[in-house]
Amino acid sequence: MSSSQRAQEVLYESEAALRLVDQELLDLHSVHREEHRAVTAGLADLPYILERANAQILGVLSRLRESRAALQSSAVEKLQVTHEKLREVTSATEDAAINIMDACDRATQLVDELDTIDAASEPDREKAGAVRGTLRDELFLMMGALQFQDITSQQLNHASAVLVEMEHRLMDVAKLFDTNAANEPSPLTMANSVDMSTFDPNATTRDPEGRQALADEIFTAIRGTAA
Amino acid sequence: MKFLVVDDSATMRRIVINSLQRIGFSDTVEAGDGQEALAKFDSSVGFVITDWNMPNMSGTDFTKVLRSRPDGAQVPILMVTARSVKEDILTAMEAGVNNYIVKPFTPQVLKEKIDALLPAAAA
Repeated sequence: MSSSQRAQEVLYESEAALRLVDQELLDLHSVHREEHRAVTAGLADLPYILERANAQILGVLSRLRESRAALQSSAVEKLQVTHEKLREVTSATEDAAINIMDACDRATQLVDELDTIDAASEPDREKAGAVRGTLRDELFLMMGALQFQDITSQQLNHASAVLVEMEHRLMDVAKLFDTNAANEPSPLTMANSVDMSTFDPNATTRDPEGRQALADEIFTAIRGTAA
Repeated sequence: MKFLVVDDSATMRRIVINSLQRIGFSDTVEAGDGQEALAKFDSSVGFVITDWNMPNMSGTDFTKVLRSRPDGAQVPILMVTARSVKEDILTAMEAGVNNYIVKPFTPQVLKEKIDALLPAAAA
């Protein structure tokens, strides 16, 4: 069972225990109101009832502590993964920016080289053609570096989905203590519902060569088996 | 040959289309998700390049539907996606893709995969 499932289960158990205590208190109250004439007999039972209520309250407190620990554990785990994803977004953005700037520097040098060739009394057209080819390669490399945008947007969507999930869990806890909270709209969900189908939680810019090699290996192995 | 490029990211569609133009394929049509791709697919399309994670209809669902159509049963389908765990790659194969490229990719990898599938497309 995952930590988040455990947290949810414990929350439900806590809620059930709280309802039991409510019932006990209601029973106690009705005994006093409806059986006024049997006050003496009721008083005799009171220590027992209070003892039972005390045991129930202790049980609820224990459940609440457990639910807090379970929630804390699953939330911390998810938030750590999200934190790591956000760090990767920063890193991927910086890497792409550096790659593009490096390509810009090389492209500028190539343009200077073309100017020098053009300035000659007898321009070397063949060399100019080769330089233009290299310049096109550099421009294309800049465009390829922009692939980070697709992957980082998936990572940010994942982070957003985790925040929405955390909000739901906090709302569940709030509902245990305040029934009015159940009717309150969820601000994050209303403002930004994340379409889970549009991102891969494991999307990464890291080690594309290794991941491509794995895909190639699987395709080759399965085709070999099928042949 | 006409290429159908399917990706919900406009940036990725442009990168793929520019890569195709660079290796000599300038006839392209693009779609933002599987549903739109199905609507745009016809017998003039000779090669499909699709992403996986998209709204409305994923790349794997699009592939399955396309494979069930008489005009899409044989067309080469290349999946270009950020998904790269073994189970995902196997799922894509089962859906019917012919090959798989992991994002971020280089134009060289794209060219290699297309070249490897082109004889199949010509057959």
